[in-house]
Amino acid sequence: MDQALIIVISVLTSVATLLLISVGLAVIFGLMRVINLAHGEFLMLGAYAVLVATRNGISVWIAIPLAGVSVGIFGLVVERLLIRPLYGRILDTLLATWGLSLVLVQAVSIVFGPATNGIGTPLGSVHVGGYSFSQYSLVLITMALITLTAVYLLFTRTRYGVMARAAIQNPAMARALGIDTARMNMLTFGIGSGLAGLAGALLAPVAGVVPSFGQAYIAQAFMTVIVGGPDVITGTSAAAGLLGSSYSLVSYLTTPFIGQAALLLIAIVLLRILPRGLSGNWRTYL
Amino acid sequence: MSRARAAWDTAWLQPVLVVLVALLGGLFVSDFQKVTLALWVIYGLVALSLDLVWGRAGIFSFGQTAFFGVAAYSYGVIGINLSPNTGETVTALIGGVVVAALLAAALGYFMFYGKVGDVYVAIITLAVTLVLLQVITSTAGPQYHIGNAQLGGYNGMTNIPSMEFGYPGHPGDQMSQPDTYTFAVLLAGLAFLGVRMFLASGFGRVITAIRENELRTELLGYDVRRAKVIVFTLGGAIAGLAGGAYAGWGSFMNPAPFSLPAAALIVIYVLVGGKGSLVGAFIGAVTVEWLSTVLGGILPNSTTLVVGAILIGVVLLVPGGLTPLIGNVLARAFPRPAPPRRQAPSGAGFGAAGRGRELQTLGLVKMFGGLKAVDSISLDFPAGQLHCLIGPNGAGKSTFFNLLVGQYRPTEGKILLEGRPIARLLPHQRAQRGIGIKLQVPSIYRELSVQENVWLAAFAKRSSTRQAEEAVDRILTRIGLVGRANDSAGDLSHGEQQWLEMGMIVASSPEVILLDEPTAGMTHEETMRTVELVRSLAETATVVVVEHDMEFVQRLDAPVTVLHEGRILAQGRLAEIRLDDRVLDVYLGRTFRASGN
Repeated sequence: MDQALIIVISVLTSVATLLLISVGLAVIFGLMRVINLAHGEFLMLGAYAVLVATRNGISVWIAIPLAGVSVGIFGLVVERLLIRPLYGRILDTLLATWGLSLVLVQAVSIVFGPATNGIGTPLGSVHVGGYSFSQYSLVLITMALITLTAVYLLFTRTRYGVMARAAIQNPAMARALGIDTARMNMLTFGIGSGLAGLAGALLAPVAGVVPSFGQAYIAQAFMTVIVGGPDVITGTSAAAGLLGSSYSLVSYLTTPFIGQAALLLIAIVLLRILPRGLSGNWRTYL
Repeated sequence: MSRARAAWDTAWLQPVLVVLVALLGGLFVSDFQKVTLALWVIYGLVALSLDLVWGRAGIFSFGQTAFFGVAAYSYGVIGINLSPNTGETVTALIGGVVVAALLAAALGYFMFYGKVGDVYVAIITLAVTLVLLQVITSTAGPQYHIGNAQLGGYNGMTNIPSMEFGYPGHPGDQMSQPDTYTFAVLLAGLAFLGVRMFLASGFGRVITAIRENELRTELLGYDVRRAKVIVFTLGGAIAGLAGGAYAGWGSFMNPAPFSLPAAALIVIYVLVGGKGSLVGAFIGAVTVEWLSTVLGGILPNSTTLVVGAILIGVVLLVPGGLTPLIGNVLARAFPRPAPPRRQAPSGAGFGAAGRGRELQTLGLVKMFGGLKAVDSISLDFPAGQLHCLIGPNGAGKSTFFNLLVGQYRPTEGKILLEGRPIARLLPHQRAQRGIGIKLQVPSIYRELSVQENVWLAAFAKRSSTRQAEEAVDRILTRIGLVGRANDSAGDLSHGEQQWLEMGMIVASSPEVILLDEPTAGMTHEETMRTVELVRSLAETATVVVVEHDMEFVQRLDAPVTVLHEGRILAQGRLAEIRLDDRVLDVYLGRTFRASGN
């Protein structure tokens, strides 16, 4: 019984982690059709933001949202300089953001050094029978739920959300209706980046903060988004649920090493069967 | 002499010249420089594989360094275990190539048979590369070994034997690093030659065709998925060859090639050398490596920074790479001669073929959500006859046409070709069974010449380059485009493009021809000429035309079926149909009146 509880929490933590790292990517890719290969580095920047803040005596609970906001602002700048000139040229955006990713990794490692920096995991651990788990897992799970709900409400229930989706689906028509599409796209990219920064910040205490922080997550994030398909919220959640639980169960039964391989294999086989992703035939709005 | 033959005969020239220059150059450099140059040539070989896959076949792959890495590790594993006994590492080199090719083939199967989009191919190959990186770096422990070969994790695999060519009992001399230069040049030359031969073959042109217009290629009857898997596998094998050579060169292998900066470098080689220019792959690799050696002296520890900056700079400032830029300057300096005057198609007599086959639909239904776009249509198109389908907007013409083509699968009902069901077949399979398809928008290879366009269509059925070329001349005469044979198809007028596409359909000697609004966008004069062309198609095949233009339909003088709201409203000669009140109602937008009015 105790063991079952531990397994459930570890599965949920994996799912929550996948959700957090991929939701920003899903917003940017799913809504804007922009492939942001620097997504992993946006996560990394979020983690470093927390590192810098906590070193300067700011509480980790304030540092985490702060990190999200800073990376969001950074995203606005990137959109303006790098993404905007390349709209409609998907492959070129991919190459340019890839270049950005390389530059960011090297720049951060020049400034902060290549070594791993630890941030102590806040909160203690809970003991259940002979087992224990970190309370911080519960924070991750809760934050994943909050993020998901917030993104859903933002894009369906606010003026911005409707205008942003209009700007992306039919830019010419949106402009004719008086929507500033360039500004909408910039905002959407900023929000996606902010979500990435937030995810990186949340994961910083459980993972080591290194310049290659993003590389550990980027493949999983992309797999989740692709397997999820066109629907940003439902598709990504379903994919995170499926991939996260299979990863965590396989890892539990064998090693994390095989868990990784299993995640990739499941993703590729799924794409052979459902090329448009899990939500490919759902036709919901988000 | 025929074009394909000529291309084949000269394909060897460039590789041989490049190899000779490289070998001669090797006489004038120090052994120390040769060691570095060997590495650059090996990088060029990886770039060649990406240039084939991306530049020529249009598949953007992050995976070339992964195939390179997998092959290098395989070379190490096989070499360490076998070479003490066999005295050679040729099996290790071949083994590496085979493993890389198998990995590429498996990956290609899942991606291309799953029909995932271009961008997804990029992401999947990226994910595979990154996961391999994680997997291989976590094999540091002593328990991770294959035979005598320790995988070594992030520390890398050591004591990999250099290239040797002995046989059991008589081990060969292990090749020294400077000598590896000569070996690498020869290997690269062979691969370069192989790729050029491959591209000069009929199949190579099909690869170009897929890059230019995937849908058209599929409609001509080529199996696009299979072709992509083949070219992707070949690319994997070449990257694998480079990987094996690399492991033999350095006697060492670590997980670095699986990292993103390594993959980025290969893309930069190709971009700098010029996408699609094969020799450019080597030029790009050598140029970039030389530059980064120079820069590395000035700015230590920032190679990646520079690589990233170059990538951003090239994409923002010179999209498409540097070679096209030089090409444009040359084109401006030496403009092409103006195209000759156009001729009209002569129409009649496309040469002997069958008399066409019968096409039938039985109770065909297509639902979109709750909407019945096609509502139980049973139609018979007798062999060797011309037949027109008309109807107002929204009548279900396009849906019906797309069901015949294979773009849609019917919800219910059957499509029979000479009595055999074809409703479940993919478009290219229908094309192989003798259905020629022309969609409404001209779907041609805009970047290829008129002659190459027709050749690709002819080759789909004949698979002999010579026979295909004979057919090309005949067809170009018929569609009146002989004078423009060597112009880019994209330079033709809209009407000429439509004729070209009809010529392409004829070139594949179909039994049934499906035409969706063949006169869309044509001038009146062009439309009238198209009448003759379409009528002549019916001499050798069953022809179904979907059309809006009533004058065109009248001139065709063929049986007409009127569709309305997904059903058959009327059938007969146009003259009779014109007197039908219901048809008039539909076309004039009047509501239905009681029958017998």
